[in-house]
Amino acid sequence: MSFLLRTVSHSAEGREIVRTRRVEGDRLAIGRDPACDVHLTDLAVALRHAAIERLGDRLDVAVEPGLTVELNGRKASRGEIDLGTGGDLLIASHVLRFMPTPAGSDEIAVSVERIAEGEAKLDKGGERLFTLAPVLPGKRLMAWLLALLVLAVGLAWPIKAYYERRERADTFARFHADQIWSSGSLSAAHSGLKDNCTACHVKPFEAVRDTACRTCHTSVHDHADPFRLARARPDLGRWRRIELAFKEKFGIPPGRCVECHTEHEGKQAMPVTAQRFCADCHGDLRKKLPDTPLPDAGDFGRSHPEFSPVLIAGWNAERPRLRRLSLARRPSEDSGLKFPHALHLSSTSGVAQMARRLGAPYGFGQALECKDCHDPAPDGARFQPVDMEQDCAMCHDLAFDRSGGVTRTLRHGEPAQVVAELRDFYRGRAAPRPSVLAPAARRRPGDAPDLRNRIRFARGPGSAERAIRSVFSPGGACFDCHQVESAPAGSLAFRIRPVAFPVRYLHKGWFDHRAHSTQTCSSCHLAERSKAASDLLIPDLASCRTCHGGEGSSKAVPSSCAMCHDYHMDAGAPSMLIRRKVRGKKREEAVAEARR
Amino acid sequence: MMASRSIPRTDLGASHEGFLRHRDFLWLKIALALSLLALAGYALIDVQPRHNGGSAYGYALGTIGTFLILWLTLLGLRKRAMTRGRWSLKAWTSAHVYLGLSLVVIATLHTGFQFGWNVHSLAYALMILVVLSGLFGIVAYARLPRQLGASRSEMTRSQMIDALFKLDRQLHAAAQPLGHDDTRIVRGALDDDPFAGGLYRRLSGRYPACRTARALAGLRSRLASATADQAAALESVVGLLERKASALARIREHLRIKALLEIWLYVHVPVTFALLAALAAHIVSVFFYW
Repeated sequence: MSFLLRTVSHSAEGREIVRTRRVEGDRLAIGRDPACDVHLTDLAVALRHAAIERLGDRLDVAVEPGLTVELNGRKASRGEIDLGTGGDLLIASHVLRFMPTPAGSDEIAVSVERIAEGEAKLDKGGERLFTLAPVLPGKRLMAWLLALLVLAVGLAWPIKAYYERRERADTFARFHADQIWSSGSLSAAHSGLKDNCTACHVKPFEAVRDTACRTCHTSVHDHADPFRLARARPDLGRWRRIELAFKEKFGIPPGRCVECHTEHEGKQAMPVTAQRFCADCHGDLRKKLPDTPLPDAGDFGRSHPEFSPVLIAGWNAERPRLRRLSLARRPSEDSGLKFPHALHLSSTSGVAQMARRLGAPYGFGQALECKDCHDPAPDGARFQPVDMEQDCAMCHDLAFDRSGGVTRTLRHGEPAQVVAELRDFYRGRAAPRPSVLAPAARRRPGDAPDLRNRIRFARGPGSAERAIRSVFSPGGACFDCHQVESAPAGSLAFRIRPVAFPVRYLHKGWFDHRAHSTQTCSSCHLAERSKAASDLLIPDLASCRTCHGGEGSSKAVPSSCAMCHDYHMDAGAPSMLIRRKVRGKKREEAVAEARR
Repeated sequence: MMASRSIPRTDLGASHEGFLRHRDFLWLKIALALSLLALAGYALIDVQPRHNGGSAYGYALGTIGTFLILWLTLLGLRKRAMTRGRWSLKAWTSAHVYLGLSLVVIATLHTGFQFGWNVHSLAYALMILVVLSGLFGIVAYARLPRQLGASRSEMTRSQMIDALFKLDRQLHAAAQPLGHDDTRIVRGALDDDPFAGGLYRRLSGRYPACRTARALAGLRSRLASATADQAAALESVVGLLERKASALARIREHLRIKALLEIWLYVHVPVTFALLAALAAHIVSVFFYW
């Protein structure tokens, strides 16, 4: 018995080379050991890997313990091959093919072949193997993918969001892709619009128009007539002209709201208007608009006109005649009242004495102070008009009789009633001295009891008419504070000239008393030296300039125009102050903020 | 990369002046002048409330930046045709490098230092990435080619592969007498493919799972307990493995330097196109929501 081994190999050109060898016996040792019958040089083959033994018409395959072979395509550690059908035995990279052998044949043909392996793989590719090309996706592919990704996310997606929003309003609430176009947060005031891009960006490729702003801002004025505004503009420099030409080319109207009110600059308050925005036009406004009633104004410290408060210059019958007059002309005011501030604020006069005597219930100190008569308005910015009953009557009492524990007082503000009351008083009883006329009851401080009055009363019987006349005459309760229109002859129809105070003197500028609470009243209002009510105690420009200077000033409070004036509004506090919340703050804080 | 093209080397080599110092740094001077001009404008022009891309100056810088980017991108086309003279490729490359760097100044001023999570800052970030990768490329081209030459120790690339291949055959023959357990170790080393590592292996040059190194360690320890007749075979295998390890190290070092030389372009080129896309999105979006 024998095995006929046909060892098949291939030449470099692929030609098949077959070497034939005969192995006598019915055992076949297979392994890497050269002593084996079938010597396989593959290092994956063990020295003695397997043994084949012929048992009649089949072959027994015995594999070394721990090793495996592939028998007819199946992994096995031992097995059999039917000689009639033959079989394949795969050991590592070698295949042993046992040919079908007729029963009783003495010789078994076995072909041994090494299955081609990619041994030569290193040769392939050559230079390319050394580059990064095999380990990275191609540059061109990456370029396309990245570019398409960016275009899809950064352009197509937001545009889609824009058209979606036009159809469905509820898209505001959730994420919307066009927010990746936003170049920065909206200002604090507009932050509610952050999810509603189209509130301002109404039409694609059209710069934001004022109409969009006016949807909400319905009540701001335009500062001035647009034509006058245009004429007052400073001369265009070369760069401005170029800028304007570009704007014209791209259809951007000049003077839009957003030119000053820039947006997407971060979540902050809108920046304060710089001084030059005002001074560019107002610095030499007279030159450009000769008919303007406004004086030129620039830096507060250097070129600001004297204040022109609106005051009561006179009366048209019962109506006060208001006029705007410059403080430079030292105007006096005709409020209809007689009131010497100096007397009231003196610390040595009878007024001070009375204040000390009345003392505690009214909170008076050693002498009267401004606050004893002047009450600030609830917002603290201004003061409430002086009210006789509230602010004067604690001293200037109008009591004239005591009846059953009730003090009767003359009615303030109604002279006809006063006449009637007094007449009634005298009609009803024998004439005692009216308390108004009694020195003790006439609690007017500083006034020595009016001798003349007492004499007049003592001389005659207490007739009502005399009492009435004396109330409205010099030394009488009404006359001392009010201008009395004397009654026609034979009549007692005395009349009091009306009294009026302006609530606000400076209508074009803003002043907040609370922001100045660290100052004493008299440091600005020269009330201690004022002997007549007609003195206008509004502080002048020079007074303000002791602390306030222009925007770049080194004074304690550098003040740009916007601190007192507002471009779009006259009535309320300028938006700069509202934004900075200066109102009601201590001056130091306001100063520190203004400096920042 | 450029060297692999067929350039008539005869007259190029004689008076070689790199693109960086081309014409006595002409383009460096131009780029510096451009940057200083932009900076001066930024300092002198008063934009309220603060500088941003939407002011007149911002638009001007943006326009300059856009045209610069487009022109810089054209180098990709221009480099395919090597010419000499005034508008030589070298001059073009020199301008590409220096104007590309000045773009950092111009684009940064265009942003007004306002950044956010939006498409505008995306374009800026991509641009910076492109410039940084370009800078890396310049440094790599200035320093690495010398190392690359040294790393191959007078061998061509195919010779390096060949040497490895021959060592593998010798190993295969020398390992024949070894036992099955030992041959398993040797087979691991034989299967080692020097090009198998991914990008990280290429760039770091570190192959901690190298099977040749493992086989070497394993067989060395086997040597201690081997019988005399095994020892002879083991020793020759160990000797071959040592030679293979050094051949592998040479190839891997070569691969590492080559990877460093090439990697920047894999950022520079694709990100440039991403930048062009982001730039388009930036410009369209600005005018869409004007």
